[in-house]
Amino acid sequence: MALYIVEADCISCGDCEPVCPTQSITEGPVVFKIDKRTCTECEGDFDVPQCVKVCPIDNCILPLEA
Amino acid sequence: MSQNVCSRELALRIALAARALPDTDAKRLLSVLAECTHAVMTESAVASICLDEFKQANDGFFGGYSDQCLLNALSILKNTAADKVMPAIKAYQEGELPNSVRMACASDDAIHANGQFATCPWFMVYQVNAEEARLIDIRHTEIPEGLWVQDKNSYRAELIQDCKVLYVVSVGGPAVAKIVKQGIHPIKLDEPQSLVDILSELQAVIADSPPPWLAKAMGVDASERFKFDRLATG
Repeated sequence: MALYIVEADCISCGDCEPVCPTQSITEGPVVFKIDKRTCTECEGDFDVPQCVKVCPIDNCILPLEA
Repeated sequence: MSQNVCSRELALRIALAARALPDTDAKRLLSVLAECTHAVMTESAVASICLDEFKQANDGFFGGYSDQCLLNALSILKNTAADKVMPAIKAYQEGELPNSVRMACASDDAIHANGQFATCPWFMVYQVNAEEARLIDIRHTEIPEGLWVQDKNSYRAELIQDCKVLYVVSVGGPAVAKIVKQGIHPIKLDEPQSLVDILSELQAVIADSPPPWLAKAMGVDASERFKFDRLATG
């Protein structure tokens, strides 16, 4: 259970990084990335994933199919 | 490039301004301008000349002229007059420039990217790749008479729907949504910049390593694009 950032769509605005309650988002070599080991999809912290909420691009942050 | 060469359009405007001033030839006006701009005849230097400065330069050559007349000449020089000097458009055939992206700039004077999305009179449309930045169209944002549009900003966004990138100096939230809906990536500038500078900056990015979203907009093949794929996903 985790989210991932679609690289072709991410514009590296960095808006998602500070809103992550588990500090799972970091700036990678190309675009931002989500650590799938620590991402909780904000379960327990918020009703909706905060990164998805603040991301300005549609369908840029999607659930990682297990 | 724009730093040391007076552009064709600026040269034309200097000649037109000289004609608008009585008993002034282009040579005389040039010497006044050279003094006002400290001999650096760039668009931005000309754009910053104020009326007093203009009057006093060259031992007050224009001192005896009426303000009205001088302001008119200045507006021609700065390209803010009603009759504007527009840069020449070059035809573009689809696919002529490989690895290129089509971009639009909201502009008030056809020289700078200084326009507000909702109010600028034109979108300057360029086809840009690493080697060339070609002005392919100037889209007038004025709604043609008789055409009824429900939403002005949607109309403006549709006007440039073939572009992938749009540079603006300011744009409102709802307008951004309409721009994004057309598949255009809006870029907000902190302050107005000359079109020449923006184009060379974009060309440098394209030549170097375009960010994935830009590469996608340029239609670069997905396999080409993800050079850092494994590196990025970790």
